[in-house]
This record gives sequence, structure tokens and C-alpha cells, in this order.
Amino acid sequence: MLSLKNEAAAGEAPGLNLEVQGRKVYYQGPADVRSLLDSQGESVLYANVRINGSVLDRRDFENVLLKEGDSVEFLYFMGGGSCST
Amino acid sequence: MFNLTEEEIERYSRHIILPEVGGRGQQKLKEASVLVVGAGGLGSPALLYLTAAGVGRIGIIEDDVVDLTNLQRQVLHATADVGKPKAQSASETMKQINPLVEVDVYRERLNKDNILPLVEKYDVVVDGVDNFPTRYLINDACVMKKKALVEGGILRFMGLIMSIRGGETACYRCVYEEPPPPGTVPSCAEAGILGAVAGVVGTLQATEVLKILTGVGKPLFNRMLQFDAEELSFHEVQAKRNPKCPVCGENPTITELVEYDHTCEIQAPGS
Ligand SMILES: [Zn+2]
Repeated sequence: MLSLKNEAAAGEAPGLNLEVQGRKVYYQGPADVRSLLDSQGESVLYANVRINGSVLDRRDFENVLLKEGDSVEFLYFMGGGSCST
Repeated sequence: MFNLTEEEIERYSRHIILPEVGGRGQQKLKEASVLVVGAGGLGSPALLYLTAAGVGRIGIIEDDVVDLTNLQRQVLHATADVGKPKAQSASETMKQINPLVEVDVYRERLNKDNILPLVEKYDVVVDGVDNFPTRYLINDACVMKKKALVEGGILRFMGLIMSIRGGETACYRCVYEEPPPPGTVPSCAEAGILGAVAGVVGTLQATEVLKILTGVGKPLFNRMLQFDAEELSFHEVQAKRNPKCPVCGENPTITELVEYDHTCEIQAPGS
């Protein structure tokens, strides 16, 4: 399910060295932000995304492609339903 | 030396022996007041530790009733409390733990009309609510009243904590400017919560309150901590005051309290 690996094995398909939630990862999935977010295994959660410290507009999740060395943070919304029961 | 009784010196001896706290710090706790919003998953551990720690006056605001599904994580309440108002059940448990603590019970729902005078009566506010409308209301009120606020949120196996000094350090809106659209974020009732995760986050909130009140250490100001129980990892997010923040920025657009709709798009029209 997760397409994150700790380190690149020599000779594998090219991927990206990223820092995700403060951890160095070698990422081989599609380079758009939405795909990385979906690969986190918390697809039920809704998150803001920061790339290199700047908040990314939600409309750009599919368009913006990650680059080698990018630092990505997922700021998950937690704190009850967005509709109260 | 300090205005502590012999019983208090004995009860709080493990605090007092910490040089960073000492009699002086314990005295500060005795003179302090904390408002905990919600006596549920986060409020339970937070209230337990704040009570045991000897915070002089603790307010609880909660309008809900104890339900059997609460007991998996809301450790202030016991099986016999099912059906009782949570605020009452909470204060009964707190009195058993530490009768020296004064408990103010508010069996009501926090709203834009009652929040400001209430927040003013306390030194620190703890957010233990289960919905976004009230979470934003508490943040905005604490910014307006320049109160210290300890935010906490939980979902599934994750949690977050952030300490805020209203008007001075990054607020919740500096990180999460607007509430998520209705229907995007599930509640714990919908998506589940590992009970002990509530314990971790609520206990961290109590830790932050005790640090803020005693002046010990470095509170989680301008930082947000995300906790992932599955990985057992913490990730610290740097948070800055956002000059464009709608409530604490340079040109705030929120100058009066706003209350987001508590209803949900999923609801049938007209209901
Ligand atoms: Zn702000």
C-alpha cells in the first residue's frame, strides 16, 4: 500500500528523495502532491499540505509536482467532525 | 514560607521536590485557574492531571450526558455514571481525587454569547471539544482576550497539540485558517479513535498547562505537534504568526465572534 521506502536501492526506477513529516524517504509514486498524500495510508483524513514551509493551495494538489529534496508536511484536521452529530 | 498547608506540602511533595517547581511553583498552581472545555476524551485525562496537580480552581463546561460508548476513552466517567451529565460526573470524580480543588461546573454549551466572560475568569483554557465550530470559537475568543490556550485534537490513531498565547504566538487559524468544509473530516464517532490516544494528547495538554502556569520549560508556542500512534512518532510543525490570519493578523477580518454552523450538509433539507 505504501509506496514510501526508507532508502533507494541502487538500480531501481528513479524516484524522489523527499522529507515527509520530518523523515527522509525515497518516494517512487507519481510526483503530484495528491498521490503522495494518498500514499500516506490516512486517506480518510483531510489535511492541509505545506511544501518547504509554505501552505499549498488545495486546488494545486493534482497540479504541483514534487521536486528532489522537497520537504512535505501534512497538517491533518483533527478535532471532531466537520459536522456535529 | 509559602501559603501551603502541611497537607498540601505532603500531597504535592513530588512536585515540590522538583527544583524547577518547588514550593513557589506549587503555590502558583494553587492560585491558578483553568477552564477545560469538554469533559470527554481529551478533557478526561487533562482534568484528572490538573486536579491531581492541585490547580486551585478548575472550570468544566460540558452539556453532554455520559454514554456507554464514551467509557472506552473518557476515563473520568465510570459505568455507573452512564446517563449522568458529564459535567457532574467529572466534578464528582475530581472531588474524590483532590477535594482541595475548587470545581466550577457549567452544564451548558459554549457559544458566542457566553464564551468571552467565561474565558476571562480563567488563566488558561484547554480545548477538548469534538467539533470544529466550537474549536474556532475558542481560538478566536482566546485571541481577543489574549488568553493562553492549549489546543488538542484526536482522530483514529493520531493527535495534535498546540499551545497558544492569544495575540502573541501563532493561533490555530494561523495554521488552519478556516474550518474544513462540511463532510470532509469525520468525527471520532464516524472514523474511530484508539482510546489511549486520547489519553496521550489530553495528558500532554495538562503538561502544557502546568508548564505555562509554573513557568517551567518551553511551552509549545509557535509549534504544533502531531502524534502518530501507529508509527509511535511525533512530528513538530513550525508555526508562525500569519500576518494574513483572519483573527490575529495585521488586518483581522474577524473582529466579532463568529459561530460556524453546527449542522451538516448531509442533513436532510429542512431538518
Ligand atoms: Zn492567528
